[in-house]
Amino acid sequence: MNVWQLVKVHRAAALVLALLALSASLLLAALPRGFEKAYDEAVRGMLGDVSAQQTDLAVTARPNAPESLVSQPGDFETRYAELGRSLPPNLRKVVVPLGQGTSHFSAKTNGTPVDIRLDGSTGPSHEYVDFAWLPGAANRVKWVEGTPPGPSSTLARVPGQPELRDLKVIEIGLVAEARDKMNIKVGATLLLGNSYPVVARVTGIYEVTDRADRFWEHNYEVTRAVIRPIPGDTESEWLTTGLVSDEGLASLDERRELGYSWVYGLNRDTVSSADVKAMVAQVDDYKRILTDLSGGRAGSPFDLRFGLETGLDLVLTNFLTVLRTAETLLYLLLGGLAVVSIGVLALAVQLLTERMRTALSLVRARGASLGQVVRTGVGVIALGVAPAALLGYGLSYLVTGPSSLLGHLVPVVLSLTTILFATGRLALAHRRPLKDARSDLVSVRPSPRRIALEFLVVLLGAGGAYLLRTRGVASDAQELGADPLLMLAPAGLALAAGILTLRLYPLPLKLFTKIAGRRPGAVPFLGLTLAARSRGGAALPVLILLPALAVSVFGALVSGAISDTQSRAAWQDVGASARVERSAEIPEDVVARVEALPGVNSVVRAGKGNVQVEVGGLRATVVSIDLKDYRELVADSPLTVPDAPRGLGIPALMSKTLTPYTELEIGWHTRMKLRNMGRLDELPGLSFPNDNLIVMPFDGPKRAGLRTYTNMLLIDGDVDRATLERTVGLSDTEIETYATSLTDVQNAPLAGAITVAFTIATLAMGVYALVAVIVALVIGAADRTKALSFLRTLGLSQQQARTLTVLEVAPLIVLTAVAGLALGLTLPLVLGPGLDLSAFAGLTVTDFPLTFTTPALLAAGLAAVSILGAFAHATAGRRVTTALRVGESS
Amino acid sequence: MTTLSDLEAQATRHKPAFGEHAHILCDNLVRIYKTEGVEVVALQGLDLLIEKGELIAIVGASGSGKSTLLNVLSGLDIPTAGLARVAGMDLLSMTAKDRLHYRRSVVGFIWQQTARNLLPYLTARENVMLPMKLAGKKAGRDRADELLELLGVADCAPRRPGQMSGGEQQRVAIAVALANSPEVILADEPTGELDSDTSEEVFGALRRANRELGVTAVIVTHDPLVSEQVDRTVGIRDGRTSSETLRRTSEDGDVIAEEYAVLDRVGRLQLPRDFTNALEMERRVRLELERDHIGVWPAGAGEENGE
Repeated sequence: MNVWQLVKVHRAAALVLALLALSASLLLAALPRGFEKAYDEAVRGMLGDVSAQQTDLAVTARPNAPESLVSQPGDFETRYAELGRSLPPNLRKVVVPLGQGTSHFSAKTNGTPVDIRLDGSTGPSHEYVDFAWLPGAANRVKWVEGTPPGPSSTLARVPGQPELRDLKVIEIGLVAEARDKMNIKVGATLLLGNSYPVVARVTGIYEVTDRADRFWEHNYEVTRAVIRPIPGDTESEWLTTGLVSDEGLASLDERRELGYSWVYGLNRDTVSSADVKAMVAQVDDYKRILTDLSGGRAGSPFDLRFGLETGLDLVLTNFLTVLRTAETLLYLLLGGLAVVSIGVLALAVQLLTERMRTALSLVRARGASLGQVVRTGVGVIALGVAPAALLGYGLSYLVTGPSSLLGHLVPVVLSLTTILFATGRLALAHRRPLKDARSDLVSVRPSPRRIALEFLVVLLGAGGAYLLRTRGVASDAQELGADPLLMLAPAGLALAAGILTLRLYPLPLKLFTKIAGRRPGAVPFLGLTLAARSRGGAALPVLILLPALAVSVFGALVSGAISDTQSRAAWQDVGASARVERSAEIPEDVVARVEALPGVNSVVRAGKGNVQVEVGGLRATVVSIDLKDYRELVADSPLTVPDAPRGLGIPALMSKTLTPYTELEIGWHTRMKLRNMGRLDELPGLSFPNDNLIVMPFDGPKRAGLRTYTNMLLIDGDVDRATLERTVGLSDTEIETYATSLTDVQNAPLAGAITVAFTIATLAMGVYALVAVIVALVIGAADRTKALSFLRTLGLSQQQARTLTVLEVAPLIVLTAVAGLALGLTLPLVLGPGLDLSAFAGLTVTDFPLTFTTPALLAAGLAAVSILGAFAHATAGRRVTTALRVGESS
Repeated sequence: MTTLSDLEAQATRHKPAFGEHAHILCDNLVRIYKTEGVEVVALQGLDLLIEKGELIAIVGASGSGKSTLLNVLSGLDIPTAGLARVAGMDLLSMTAKDRLHYRRSVVGFIWQQTARNLLPYLTARENVMLPMKLAGKKAGRDRADELLELLGVADCAPRRPGQMSGGEQQRVAIAVALANSPEVILADEPTGELDSDTSEEVFGALRRANRELGVTAVIVTHDPLVSEQVDRTVGIRDGRTSSETLRRTSEDGDVIAEEYAVLDRVGRLQLPRDFTNALEMERRVRLELERDHIGVWPAGAGEENGE
């Protein structure tokens, strides 16, 4: 038989099949592509969020003996190349060559104190000036005073220090900030080091041309003069580092705290998420390789002991955690989508094979072998599916992103599954030439074997879910990449739910039929009876609708949980709709201006400071705020505010470490005594979680005899950050708004991609569910038309016929929608332990808030759309002539 | 006195088997449709003998088992028990492969619904060529045209079923059935959907095929036009052959039809319901062997006679 002719004859059904194959192939191939791209962007984003010091690979070494010194620039370069050659392949792929990006090498000393200034100038009492040989800095600095450092010389005597003779003088250049803050001018001579002293002579002052250059993240010390508190002392110390020339490098020896580093800069744009796992492993490998290369080992060309300094593996491991959750969600989503689309394809196959049935039965009866019939039928199906699936796959290339194996497999798997299903169906239908000989007999009751099998499936589904719930994700998921049970349990559960729905749905129907039978009006009774009889054809629509709805509901819950937590995180970050904070006091006129801003509903003033507690030397954050007002301010937010402390004197709430003290004296504006009235560990947005916290009434300082202080404004209302900045007009204020904070959280890697994917999948599944119902109706159309024609000759009106059709499918749709909704709401309970959404939400997602509105709306919407489809089908084209051909067998 | 050796000789002596030379043989044929809890006995021990080249009609009320019999004979259905043999092939013990061969080259058939016989998107010629292609024979365009010519529908060759009248469609269907030169053609109410003139044409075509090609033809029909023109009409009642009408042409050219009741191999006989009703025969009758016939009396009447 001519396959092409059959395709032409049944072109409508073949077109439906082709369109479904195309859309399924497109979706299933494009979604992983889009996700792969999002993964890549996420890993690049995460690498961009941390400093170059963490992402780059810095090989470090300390010379411990004169023979291990590297004192020639050329030797550095040789070692750079040699060490670079040993980089494992995946790492070598992502590093930039020397001279580009952040790739460079350096020799630096560390912790060299200034003993005395020989030039007589004065500076801070504790100061450190280190040497840095940094060839990469040459074209990144601008000399603003003096000249760049030159070769070293020798100082025969040091005035006033007779024991010091023939000291080495190393010329250095210093950053302008050191000149300004530490008062080291060009020409200054510093005696450095308490033992083995050297002399540093400042020949020039430079400025960094581009502070944003990530190169400086490795060499922060040469760009600044920094002050840091001395532990256990009230005084602070100043530190800076001077650049030395190539000749100066030769003068740096092991007696200083000298360290070499060869930095292999990472080009994050070349990192692909697929390589991340290998990269993490190879960082470890490289550490081992470096140990092997280190001096003392046999065959090693180096005399140094190398180490690797990088945070790359940590950053990437963090990414892998996020990736795993995203992949789990994607697999769930794709799995659901695949099941649904294959189900719809199966329905379309059923439609097409039903359409071909008469022709194929005839040729079978006329002497076609089973093989011939199946070949013909499958040929038609294959012509419908395969080119469309390939086209869909081709179209998926419109979505930019790297391709994955999963994506390549899609058209093949889709076509094969469909063709296999068609083969099985055709072979079963035409195994015997005259299968429909006596279709008037009662339907076959399911065999005990089948019931046992179904029981087993339900049991396995429930068991898997229970296991997952009690056990959580497998501990070896790390190695496996994904927990297999996490993938299988939802599928098993969906299958179990489908079987239960199919088996149980006649029960409520029986009840409704009984009720309908007692009432006047034949249509409801007839409709429900027809619904109860159509069990055989109902399996596929149920198996499509149910997972479609379950995945959609689950997606809505996940998105809901993510956005809920994101919102909570943003609130906790800001502490109000907006927060204005300054270390100094905020002037009264500024407060007034802010209060007068349009959109600002109310403003709560607060004071905040850092104090040392008298006892125990603890430091604490102290906040003075009227908690009652603050509670009113954040009443509509997820923030909770405790009752204000009450009592005589200055009542305060204190965090855990301070609870033992009933009274505490602090020095904040003035000495004041606080009475501990209760415990409060954290005020989100106003304090850091791990700090000690003291919260006192806003007028606390006033009660202590001073006045109130305001250096923080908490604002309720709709006002944007730019407006606030303009209004406040003080450059040293920190302004945070809920909106900006929320945007920050929402930009968490992959959160957007997941939400988009779920939205697309939900829409697609809605369409599929609609198609499923209509196709199922079209398949049964011949039988239904026959029944309706018969009833119409008995006096059924067109309107009643329509109602009948809707009533016939509505119970199944409604009951399946309820089952799908229930399954979707159960999934988070089952998967909860295995899904860590924290990475997307900015906070730990403690539980899935069971919001019923969105899921219920989804279920109702899907059911309504499906029933509308049924109605449309019932309305379109019920010809009266069909009623005249009653009694004729097909 | 009969000795043991006589008995042995008698047992081994070749005795012609029942219907040994018949072209179509059904012996005590049973077909039961069985699904969970419900059994429908469509054929309950049917006997039928048809000679090669015969043209017979099978008549019977709706549900009497005619169509089941035809499905069995066409190899589309497998009987539950009994013996069914067509052209020397045993329909009960055939393998799937034999069955396929049987359908391809031993039987051809025609259904009642004109639309069911032909593929609507193929022309008449292509429809006739289809069985040949299916059987793997070289599709003979000439043979198809020849057959269409024989059945008087040569002009329909390039037309699709939709462009033909019902009678033409049925005649093309006969051509399709004859495509692979079968030995038997089976027709299930071939004139059921046609008016009497067209029926005449279709039946004429069947008869021509029977006479000119020597094909054995079995026609299930309700149509008196058909059943009254064949040599033999077999009546089926409740899954058994109940009567046979034989027709012969008398010397003066009139057709004489004689109706017989069928006596099966074990001596069972179905009495026509009209007869038994008229004499109120129920459950038991009394038989009496006369010199040249057997008398059947209602049980009550016999008892009165006995008094």
